[in-house]
Amino acid sequence: MLRHTSLFLGYELRFLLRNPVWPLFGIIQPVMYLLFFAPLLGSTTQSGSMPEVLAMFTPGSMMMIALFGSLFGGFGLINETRNGVLERLAVSPAWPPAIILGRAAKDMLVLVVQAILVMGIAMIMGLRITLPAFLLMLGLMALTGLFAATLSYGLALALRDENGMSQLVQFFAMPLTLIAGLFLPVSLGPDWLQTLARFNPLYYGVEAGRALFRDDLGDSTIPVAFGLLAVLSLITITWSMRSLRKMAG
Amino acid sequence: MIIEAHDLRKTFTAKRGRGKTEQVEAVRGIDLAVEKGEIFAALGPNGAGKTTTVRMLATFIAPTSGTARVAGYDVVKEAAKVRENIGYVSQAGGVDENSPGLESLMLAARISGMSKKQARARADELLEAFSLTEIANRPAKTLSGGQKRRFALAIGLVTAPPLVFLDEPTTGLDPQNRANLWDEVRALRDQGTSVLLTTHYLDEADALCDRLIIVDHGQIVAQGTPNELKKEVAGDVVTLRLKGVDEARELLAAQPYIKEVRAEDDLLRAYLDDGEHGLPRLLRALEERSLTLDSISLDRATLDDVFLRHTGRSLRDAA
Ligand SMILES: Nc1ncnc2c1ncn2[C@@H]1O[C@H](COP(=O)(O)OP(=O)(O)OP(=O)(O)O)[C@@H](O)[C@H]1O
Ligand SMILES: [Mg+2]
Repeated sequence: MLRHTSLFLGYELRFLLRNPVWPLFGIIQPVMYLLFFAPLLGSTTQSGSMPEVLAMFTPGSMMMIALFGSLFGGFGLINETRNGVLERLAVSPAWPPAIILGRAAKDMLVLVVQAILVMGIAMIMGLRITLPAFLLMLGLMALTGLFAATLSYGLALALRDENGMSQLVQFFAMPLTLIAGLFLPVSLGPDWLQTLARFNPLYYGVEAGRALFRDDLGDSTIPVAFGLLAVLSLITITWSMRSLRKMAG
Repeated sequence: MIIEAHDLRKTFTAKRGRGKTEQVEAVRGIDLAVEKGEIFAALGPNGAGKTTTVRMLATFIAPTSGTARVAGYDVVKEAAKVRENIGYVSQAGGVDENSPGLESLMLAARISGMSKKQARARADELLEAFSLTEIANRPAKTLSGGQKRRFALAIGLVTAPPLVFLDEPTTGLDPQNRANLWDEVRALRDQGTSVLLTTHYLDEADALCDRLIIVDHGQIVAQGTPNELKKEVAGDVVTLRLKGVDEARELLAAQPYIKEVRAEDDLLRAYLDDGEHGLPRLLRALEERSLTLDSISLDRATLDDVFLRHTGRSLRDAA
C-alpha cells in the first residue's frame, strides 16, 4: 500500500522536476498579499505593529494557497479519465487509493515547500514564530492540501467534465474563503457571520494557524482543525475511490 | 480455459439531459470460452458491445448479470487476482501524454512488484522489441499515433501476463504498422500468451485469430474459426450488378450449384462452393434469359459475408 503510494508519488515528482517553474507561480500570490495588503491592516490589531499584523494575516494567505493550489489539481485528472490512463491503472495490480494518494502526496509536498518560502518571507518582514509552531503550521498546510486535493480529485472523477468542475469549484471556493475570515478574523464581524463560519472547515484551519502564530499552542482550534481535516480527507478519499470504480458506469 | 463467461450482460443508465435517463443494453448475454494460448477475436461494428465486454472481463466495470472467470478467478469476487494475471490495452491506449513513455513503462513494472533493476531490464527488453529505445525519453505527446500504440502495447505486456486484452489494437495504424503489430501479436501466442482482441476489420480477424465471435447489438451472432465460419456461407461469392434484379434472383436461386442468393439494392450476391466452375454456368443462365450485366466479380467469401448472412447487413455499413 505504502509502496504503491510512494511509486505514484515518485512518478509525479519526476514530472514536477521536469517542469519545476509552475509551482513557483503559486507563491507569487501570497507573497504579493504579504507585501501590499498586510501593511494596510495596521489598524485591525491592538498594537498595530508589523509582527502582530503578520501573525494575523500570514496564516490566511497560506490557507489560500493550500485551498486554491490544490482545488485545481483535479482538472488534470479529468483528461486521464478519457485517455485511458486511469482505466489502465484501475485494472492494474495497484492499490486503488494509491492512484489518488500519490498525487495528493505530491500536492502536499509542493504546499509544504511553498509554505516554507512564504513563512520565510514573512519572517524577513518581521514575523516571529517558534519552531514547534512552524512545524505544526507545515502539518496544517499539508493536511489542508490533502483535503482540498482529494476533494478536487473526487470531483474530477465524479463529474468527468471540465466545465461543470470549474463552475463547482468557483461556486464553493468563494464563500468558503470569505466565510473563513481568510484576510481578517471573523471575530471582527457580526454574530451571524461568526456562527456561519463554524460550519466552514477552512475557518478552523485559519484560526488554528493564527493560534500557532500567536504561540498559543494550547488553543482548542488546533486539535479541532487537525481532526476535522483528517476526517474530511478520509471522506473525500473514500468518495473518490467509489467514483473511480464507477468511472465507466 | 483462460476465459469462461456465462450470459454476461451490461445495461448502462445513460443521462439524456433534463434529469431523464435511458437504459442502454450494451451487452445482452454473451457466452465465451477462450482456450489457453489462443488468439481470440471479437469482431463487430461500432457500438456492438466489444469494449463493454472486454471491460467486464478486465474487471474495469462490473457486469449487470452473468458470471465470468478469467485466468481461473471470478471477475467480480476475485478482481484483484484477475488483475495480477492480465495485461489490458484499452481502445484509448492509456499512455500518459505528459511523461516519457519509459516513465509509464517503469511505473507499470514497479507496481506489479518488480524492483527498480528488474523493471529497468524488462523495460529495456520491451523497448527493444517494439523499436522504442530511441524515443523512450520523449514526452508521449510528441509521439505519432503508431508510436504511442506501441508504447501502450509495451505497457500492457510489461508484467508478461498469461492473458492480454487488446481493444482495437490497430485502429489508426498505417498498413505497415498494422502488419508489424499482427506479427507482434503472433509472437505473443508463440510464447504461450493468450490474446483476446477486438476489431472491426474483417481482414484482421481473418488473418490473425484462431477463433472469433461476431458480435452485433450486444449478442454473439456467430462463432468459430475463420474458416469454419466462411465455409458456412460457401467458398466463393459472385457479386452481380444488373437490371432486373428480381428476375435474376429467382433464376439463380433455382440453379443447383448455387447455395444461396442475397439481394442488396441493385446488387446480387450468389454464394457457391466452386466459383471457377460455377461462374461460366451462371453467365450462360443469365444470357439465356437475356439479362444484361453492368458488372460482375468473383471473390472468396469473407467474414463480411458471414456477418451479412447473420444480420442481414454488411459490416461495412453496419455502424
Ligand atoms: N458508460 C456508458 N454509458 C452509457 N452507454 C454506454 C457506455 N459505454 C458504452 N455505452 C453504449 O453501449 C453500447 C456498446 O458500446 P461499446 O463501447 O461496448 O461498443 P464497441 O463495440 O466497443 O464499439 P466501437 O467499435 O465503436 O468501439 C453503445 O451503444 C454505447 O453507446
Ligand atoms: Mg470499442
